[in-house]
Amino acid sequence: MSNNTHGAEGQGCSRRLIVLEQREGVLKSTSVDLWHRMQMQCKGAGLSAVLLGPVDKENPSLQLSGPGVIHHACDERLRRYDPRLYRRIIGELFEEGGFSELLFADTALSRDLAPALSVRLGASLLSRCSALPEAGRCHRRLYSGAAEGTFVASSPRAIVTVSPSSILLQPATEFLPDILPLAVPAAAHDDLPSIVRQVVRREGMVDVAEAGVVVAGGRGMGSAEGFALLEELASLFGGAVGASRTVVDEGWRPHGEQIGQTGKSIAPRLYIACGISGAVQHLSGISGAGTVVAINRDSHAPIFEVADFGLVGDVGEVLPEFVAALKEFLKMQ
Amino acid sequence: MMHIAVCVCLVPDTASVFGFSDGTLDRSRITEVINPYDEYALEAALQLKERFGGGEVTVFSHAPRSGSEALRKTLAMGADRVVIAEGEGSDSWQTASILAHTLTSWYSAALPEVILCGRQSTDFGSAEVPGMLAERLGLPSVCAVSSLEGGEDGVFRLEREIEGGAEVLEVSVPVVISAEKGLNVPRKTSMRGVMEGRKKPVEIVEGSPVECARVGLGALLPVSNKKNCHFASDARALAGMLHERGLLQ
Repeated sequence: MSNNTHGAEGQGCSRRLIVLEQREGVLKSTSVDLWHRMQMQCKGAGLSAVLLGPVDKENPSLQLSGPGVIHHACDERLRRYDPRLYRRIIGELFEEGGFSELLFADTALSRDLAPALSVRLGASLLSRCSALPEAGRCHRRLYSGAAEGTFVASSPRAIVTVSPSSILLQPATEFLPDILPLAVPAAAHDDLPSIVRQVVRREGMVDVAEAGVVVAGGRGMGSAEGFALLEELASLFGGAVGASRTVVDEGWRPHGEQIGQTGKSIAPRLYIACGISGAVQHLSGISGAGTVVAINRDSHAPIFEVADFGLVGDVGEVLPEFVAALKEFLKMQ
Repeated sequence: MMHIAVCVCLVPDTASVFGFSDGTLDRSRITEVINPYDEYALEAALQLKERFGGGEVTVFSHAPRSGSEALRKTLAMGADRVVIAEGEGSDSWQTASILAHTLTSWYSAALPEVILCGRQSTDFGSAEVPGMLAERLGLPSVCAVSSLEGGEDGVFRLEREIEGGAEVLEVSVPVVISAEKGLNVPRKTSMRGVMEGRKKPVEIVEGSPVECARVGLGALLPVSNKKNCHFASDARALAGMLHERGLLQ
C-alpha cells in the first residue's frame, strides 16, 4: 500500500461526514460505495457517517467495512424522507461535530437536500462530482458533456455530492464501523409545510441510474412492444432497461428510464445501446459508463464512436440471436 | 390575486457548436435560449393561473439586459411580465442570492404563493439554485416535480421521481417547486402570442447586493469520449467478445 500520496486528505478525513442513505429500509448501494471510496482515500483513518432511518435487513455495519463511526438515528419517523427533519439532524450533527465537509452520493434525495443545507451551513456546494474531490477540487462534465470543468470550494465548509462510478470497490479490511445511536429531536413535526405521504415503488426492475448493467433502446426498437426483447436481455444480467429521449417522447417508455441530458446520467459497468443513434444529448448521459456496446443498422451512427464493441444490423433481427448466444455463454459459466 | 413567480435562465442552445478557447466557452457561435426545464416551470405556472381563473405570472431572470429578446418568449407563451435581475454572479450561490433579493423586494408585502424553477440548467446542470433560493427565502422546496395537483386549499399534492419509484408529497404554500421533464408539455408560441408579448413589460432591476462566490470554476477543457470500436461480424460473435472480456457476470 502506498502511504504518502494522500497524506493531506488523510489528515482531513476526521473532519468529513458522509451521509448514508436508506430508502424503504434498504441501505443504498451508492452510499455503500461512497463509504468504501472514502475508506480507500483515507487509508485507515476512521471515517464518520450519519444514517437516518431504520435499516431492515442487515445491520448497517455489516454492509460497510473499514474503521469509523456511524451516527445512526434509527427512528421510524425517518424511514421516509422528511426534508425538514433530515436537514435539521444532519445540519446539527455537522455543526456540533466540528466537521468541514459533508459528502453525499448523488441521488434524488441529495439533490433535494444538499442545496438547502449549503445555505443553512454557509458551505460551498460542489454537486455531481465525477469522483471524490482531491485537494478540494472536483470535476464535472458541462455543456452536454462537451467540456470538463474544475470546481473549487472557496468557503471553509463544503458539501460535495459524488456521481456513481462504473467501478465498484470491494471492501478491503476486516474492520467494521461502530454504530452510535443518534437522538432525534422531539416535536419536530409541528408546522411541517412539506411531507412525504407515500412512496410508490416501480415493481421488478432495478433503477437505470443504479444498475450495474443497462440495456437501452432507441427509435430503432420500432415500438413499445419491441422493448420486451430488451427486458429479457436486461434480466439476463439483473440489469435495468433504459430509453432514449425519442422513445420517452413517443410514450413507449416512462421518463424515469430516460438516459441523457433531460433524463438520467448513468454509470453502469456495461451499457448496451440498441437502435440508438447517439445524439450528443444522449451521449452526455453515458459518459460515466464502463464498457459500451452498440447495435445499430447505420454503421455511421455516432454511438459507434463512443462504443467499445459494435454490431451493424437491424435490432429486430439480431437481438433475438444475441440474447440466445448470451444465454449459452452464461450457462457455461 | 394569486402571484406566481417563475425563475428562468438562459442557456446555449444544445444545437449550437460548442467550441472552447482559453478555457472558456466560445460564445460567438452560441445562440442563447430559455433553459428547457424552465419552460416546464413556466407552463405549470400558466396552467395554475388558468385553473385558478386568474393571477399574475412574473418571470424573473438573473441575466444581462441583452437577454431580454430571448426572454420575451416567456411573454409570448403567456407570462405577464419579465423582471431581469442584473448583477455580478458566476455561481449558484450568487444567482440564488440575487434572485432571493429581487423576489423579496419585488413582492414587498408577501412572497408569491408559488415560485417555480426548472429542475436544472442544461449548460452546467448542477440543479442547485431552486433549493438554495427556497432556503434563503425561508420556504419549503420540492425538487424535480413530475406531477402537480390541487392547490385550491393552499396545499399541493406533488409527485417526484426517485430511484426505482416516486414520492408523493403534500406541501403548503408558499413553496418553491422545481419542474422535471414530464410535468407537462410546454405550449408553442403563436403569432398572436408573440404580438401580445411585444406589448408586455420587461423591467430591469439593478443593484442587488453581491455576495462572494462560494465556488470557483477553473479552465474548461474540451473532452472527447471517442473510443476505438471493435465491430463484430454477427450477434453470436458480439456475445463471444463480451464473454472473452469477462463482461458476462
